[in-house]
Amino acid sequence: MQVAVELFGIPRTRAGVARTTAVGKCLGDVLADLSARYPQLADSCIDGRCLRPGFTANVGGQRFVTDPQTTLEEGDTVLLLSLDAGG
Amino acid sequence: MGPERFPTSKTLLEGPGSPKMTFHSIPAYHGCYLRVDLTTATSEFVPLDEAVLRSYLGGSGLGVALLLREGAATVDPLSPAAAIAFVFSPLVGSPLTTSAKFAVVSKSPLTERINDSLASSAFAIAGKKTGHDAIVLVGRALCPSVLVIDDDRVRLDPAAELWGLTNRQVQQQLKQRYGADFQFATIGPAGERMVRYATISHDGRHAGRGGSGAVLGAKNVKAVAVRGSRRCKWAQPDELAALAKDLSDRSFGPATAKYRELGTASNLLAFNRLNVLPTRNFQQGSFTGAVAISPEELNVARERSRASCVACTIGCEHVYGLRNGQGEVRLEYENLFALGPLCGIGNPDVVLQASQKCDELGIDTISAGGTIAFAMECAERGFLDMPWLRFGEGPALLRALDSIVAGGPLGELLAQGSRRMALEVGHDTIRFAPQVKGLEIPGYDPRGLQTMALGFAVGTRGADHNRSGAYEVDFSEAVDRRNVGAEAAALAIETEDKAALMDSLILCKFLRGVFRDFFAESAEILQLVTGWEVGGEELRRTAARIVTAKKHFNILAGWTPAEDTLPERILRHPLPDDPRAQLSPERLNSLVTAYNLARGWTADGWLNDESVVSDL
Repeated sequence: MQVAVELFGIPRTRAGVARTTAVGKCLGDVLADLSARYPQLADSCIDGRCLRPGFTANVGGQRFVTDPQTTLEEGDTVLLLSLDAGG
Repeated sequence: MGPERFPTSKTLLEGPGSPKMTFHSIPAYHGCYLRVDLTTATSEFVPLDEAVLRSYLGGSGLGVALLLREGAATVDPLSPAAAIAFVFSPLVGSPLTTSAKFAVVSKSPLTERINDSLASSAFAIAGKKTGHDAIVLVGRALCPSVLVIDDDRVRLDPAAELWGLTNRQVQQQLKQRYGADFQFATIGPAGERMVRYATISHDGRHAGRGGSGAVLGAKNVKAVAVRGSRRCKWAQPDELAALAKDLSDRSFGPATAKYRELGTASNLLAFNRLNVLPTRNFQQGSFTGAVAISPEELNVARERSRASCVACTIGCEHVYGLRNGQGEVRLEYENLFALGPLCGIGNPDVVLQASQKCDELGIDTISAGGTIAFAMECAERGFLDMPWLRFGEGPALLRALDSIVAGGPLGELLAQGSRRMALEVGHDTIRFAPQVKGLEIPGYDPRGLQTMALGFAVGTRGADHNRSGAYEVDFSEAVDRRNVGAEAAALAIETEDKAALMDSLILCKFLRGVFRDFFAESAEILQLVTGWEVGGEELRRTAARIVTAKKHFNILAGWTPAEDTLPERILRHPLPDDPRAQLSPERLNSLVTAYNLARGWTADGWLNDESVVSDL
């Protein structure tokens, strides 16, 4: 199953792209797929199938998720972004 | 010890202050504050009990305690009787990263409520080295002056020739006049004119919100100059050094990467995607021109350098160059949002120029942008006869900013902030004035971030993202950010208490992500600097006491429960670009009630027991 991925802030600078796609049935699958294709993303933002502290994910601009077991639907959009706001 | 007059000079009062007695000081503190009466040109050293220091720590906490002691809540903040406190903290001067910070605390001329604004860097270190834990000013100088505090020596220097200079100009002149080992807190022309959201500036950074610059301007003080030689001792210096090194090492990690690499402005595109980027005076939650002004784009096109405060290992400041050799400017998310999307501006040159103008004039970017965006909407709706003032018009934004200091019909309105301006314009425009308690709302649309909405509504200094970090809850799985329930109250309180503690210790909030257990680790830090046997639970109570003291100040100043709300626009109209983002008045009221009860106050927000702050 393919999902769209949008990257913001540090995830974007590490991956070098603003948008991509990934495959997987759950958030952990998608993160693992991204790690394999973007090693610099894995080094700083993703640890295996989980997000590293300081980063979060959002599905479709609606709900924030971090549990790698979070199921995804075909056509979902996953946003990867830094956790903290401020400034 | 009673006050003692300064010897007078032929121009103004100057000379050594009253002899300083030896106060019993505990590690990390001097055990006294300096109180200067500018009207009588007298000063005194006032002892600080250890119990008060332990109860309120420093920074914002100690500041509100001193303001309560001064009876400042019932005084016009622009009158000579008003007090303003520059407050240091137990961590200033320590090897801890981000600890070089100071608080400026007064009654706000914008909100008529408590205002504690923080700024960073060498002024904090030099100010504490004068041998005082705080400097409290009351009265009004006879003429424009520089207050010089050189260890125990205190004098007022006449400074009419500095009046009218921008912050950068006056800092340059002061360095030439007094030497590089003095540090300066200054006001720009906005402070002189008592613009109600004027800032106090040090080295390009600002104690920004709430108008502390106007309070200083009303006292005829263009600058406070500090130099000192007194260092505090630390209770356990070796252990403190080891902990400081560990904290510094952790501060280089992923939790602060976004600040270091992109700066706070990196929020812009994420907020835009989530439809919580306030646009065109909160009429929308996303902005079509966001990419052009994003840090990702600016970094490619024009970034010049990064900078950091003294004693900081994060380095969040990103300095961008203006076109045509017009200098450079620090850019943060809040000035980017307020002078960009909020006014419909997508031209990066205009946003950078507007930010630079605010820095130089000494005005808070959020309140300036919010008030001008409100004026733009008033003009577009025909409530202001100013056809040139339109959303998206860069020259109009720059002209409006200039008018805030230059005066004229529009400038006089803008200088009052959006709440007072709405009441003068009439036509029920208060319903879309973007403010809470008179303080303009920062760059988080409350409809899409409803825990933050609660934080804004109950905030003691008005809508503020630095006194409540409740957006962190909205950016988590803990709540549905567009439909939060009563569970949000305790979560909002947790972020508010953390902020109160960070602002009193003082540590930079950008460090918060590196703590594993913030209250316990803060207690360990405080124990190493002071020697107090203090634990995380005591600091939780301390944080709650500080928040309660601010509320107590506001009640004395005339607070009523009706103030703890949001503008009608936010409560009656969902976001057009995200119709699910809707917050009714009834639901906000229920959240506020839950918050008040969780605080241990009455359902309406009155204090049940004022004894918690009665020992002042």
